[in-house]
Amino acid sequence: MNRAISWILNYKGFIIAGLLSAIIISFYIAGELTARNSSGEVQTGPLRFLSLAWQEDAVKVVNEITDQWNQRHPEQQVELIQGSWSAVHDFLITGFETGDIPDIFHYESAIIVDFALRNYLADLSPYISKEMREDVLEVNWASVTRSSGEVIGIPFLNASSIVLYNPDLFAEAGVTPPTIENPWTWDDVHAAAEKLTIDRDGDGVTDQWGTALGLRNCANIFMNLSISFGGSFFYNDDQGNIEVRVGEPEKKLLGTMAKMLFIDKTMAPSGVGKSGTEMIPGFLAGNYAMVVSSGAWARQQLVENAGEGFHWAVMPPIKAISQSMGINSQTLSVPNSCTRQAVAMEFIQFLLSAENSTRLAISDWVLPTRKSSIADPRLQDVASGWNIVSQNAQHLSVGPWVGLPGYVEWKSRVANPTFQEFFSGRMSIEEVAERIERESASVLARYQVRGLKW
Amino acid sequence: MESMNIISGRMLKRRVSRVLMHGLILMFLVYLLFPLIWMISTSFKPTPEIYSGIPTLIPEVFTIEHYLTVLEEERLLVSILNSLYVGIVTAIIVVLISLPAAYALTRYRTSVNKLVMGWILTSQIFPAILIMIPLFIILRSLHLTDSLSGLVLVYVVWDIPFVLWMLQGYVKEIPVELEEAAAIDGATQGQIIFKIIMPLLLPAVGAAVLFAFISAWNEFFFALVLLKSPDLTTLPVELARYTGIEGQARTGPLAAASFIATIPSIVLFAILRKWFSSGALQGAVKG
Repeated sequence: MNRAISWILNYKGFIIAGLLSAIIISFYIAGELTARNSSGEVQTGPLRFLSLAWQEDAVKVVNEITDQWNQRHPEQQVELIQGSWSAVHDFLITGFETGDIPDIFHYESAIIVDFALRNYLADLSPYISKEMREDVLEVNWASVTRSSGEVIGIPFLNASSIVLYNPDLFAEAGVTPPTIENPWTWDDVHAAAEKLTIDRDGDGVTDQWGTALGLRNCANIFMNLSISFGGSFFYNDDQGNIEVRVGEPEKKLLGTMAKMLFIDKTMAPSGVGKSGTEMIPGFLAGNYAMVVSSGAWARQQLVENAGEGFHWAVMPPIKAISQSMGINSQTLSVPNSCTRQAVAMEFIQFLLSAENSTRLAISDWVLPTRKSSIADPRLQDVASGWNIVSQNAQHLSVGPWVGLPGYVEWKSRVANPTFQEFFSGRMSIEEVAERIERESASVLARYQVRGLKW
Repeated sequence: MESMNIISGRMLKRRVSRVLMHGLILMFLVYLLFPLIWMISTSFKPTPEIYSGIPTLIPEVFTIEHYLTVLEEERLLVSILNSLYVGIVTAIIVVLISLPAAYALTRYRTSVNKLVMGWILTSQIFPAILIMIPLFIILRSLHLTDSLSGLVLVYVVWDIPFVLWMLQGYVKEIPVELEEAAAIDGATQGQIIFKIIMPLLLPAVGAAVLFAFISAWNEFFFALVLLKSPDLTTLPVELARYTGIEGQARTGPLAAASFIATIPSIVLFAILRKWFSSGALQGAVKG
């Protein structure tokens, strides 16, 4: 034993080198074997489809449709990769940079614009069938079509916002909810919120708030709402460049929210640090009579989680000077590097056929982009708020920020932090305007220097 | 009388400080354990109770529906097995490489020692995101992307600097006199390493194994980017799929799956616990 150990120690250099070489060689062989197994598949094997469907029902529907495709197309199989919304950006960015990217991927129109500007995405326009082109809302096509006519993704679900309310609390306070024909203005919301904000036990602390709005990372909400106030934050300057201005419409929008939050005190202050999703438990607990600018998907949470006897409903979009709202849709795209773009698009058209689009919308509780799906009787149901959500389609509009180079960075570096400070009571509206205009100029200038054009 | 007062005063002081110390430890434990307890509690609540807005530590209605949901999804079990494989293999390789390296770097002083340790520390400065793309390209050229072996290789390289640094500290603590005494008694270098040093390093090996395993078990970003095939997904990547757009999540199943995810770490700690208390050096060398 001792001899053996001494021998080992005498030749330790060689032994260590040998062991390290063995480890490296074994890793290489393992990799080589994996590559051999998969290299055949890369050329003739399945197309890889990254899906972000995450709700149980939605995952099931996507799986079923993919299975149907695979049964009907044995020579053009599709492998489903289940992605996650929280990590998809890092996944795609590294995928594009390294060239290892799924053949079809699910994401959202506001963000794929940046990928398109870097020429990562295939132009799908030659492959879109006449039926699909005519059936999908024009406003949706506008959000994914470049000035050259290239289509960078197929929009299939719209992230439209809704106003949820509690009919029992309304009835108790003697407030009559609006109808599709007679929507509320923001003045109506103010008046109702005052009646609905109640200190039930008389201890000087509000127990029930008239309105609630998740204000954490709220840039998206305010961009979309600004359209109904006649603003948009982004305007063309004299040289044809885009500049950010916080004018009267934008100030009015911010002032409307600030009035409810700070002056009337009819908006729940807890919303300042919360997302829209995090407002739902409070709504279910009866703490809020209305939740403004909630996603249409929130209805699914209500259906699944509402206790017995809890009632909820959806009201039509609130009118400022119009009921318009900005658009952001979930999309399916194909990377430029995909060698089988035509087949990939065939699969997308199968996945997003009229019937399948309706199934996907119902399973995800969001507004579809196809007119035929929107008109489907299942999407006119009143009890689940589908009738209002479907009506929202006519109010969708493309904001001037769509396709703007640097918009994603602008939202996270300028808009979100500034709005957050404003709603924490640390800035006035004038200071918000000054800061947004100043900081936006430096962020957007960088992108204009790069010469990126939508 | 006066001396008795002084003694009782000291005793009182000692008691107060002991109570304070225990109080602080208890608070720290609560701080550490509360999220875990909350997660376990959530995993046993029915979904409407989770969303009721009324926080309760003990579920009003006890259910195992979330566990059944996640266990029915075959992918979770596959991801647990993948994570176990990656964690165990990483821990073994990291310790096998780091232990002799730490001993050599501590005991055999050469001109490259400082350089090596300096490089080890420098390598810790770079965030994962910075090296991800070049790393991916290198691994692809070795055909090691989308392979658990490739992921293990990355984790081994990622963990070795810290483990080496940690083990080096432990080796330094072992008095050289012990090795000298063994040598005088006729022990060979091999016997000194395997019979004297190794047993004393067991707590360090335990800590190194635990660190390497847990860091591989919990790691998300490398696994997300390097593994593409659904069959190779590791647990953290699988858990992320319970979250949706705009901060939504399937909270109940997520809590259940997260609790399942913590079990191997707890089991491993329980197994290695003995190692942490063994190998005490008290009395090894007379002062």
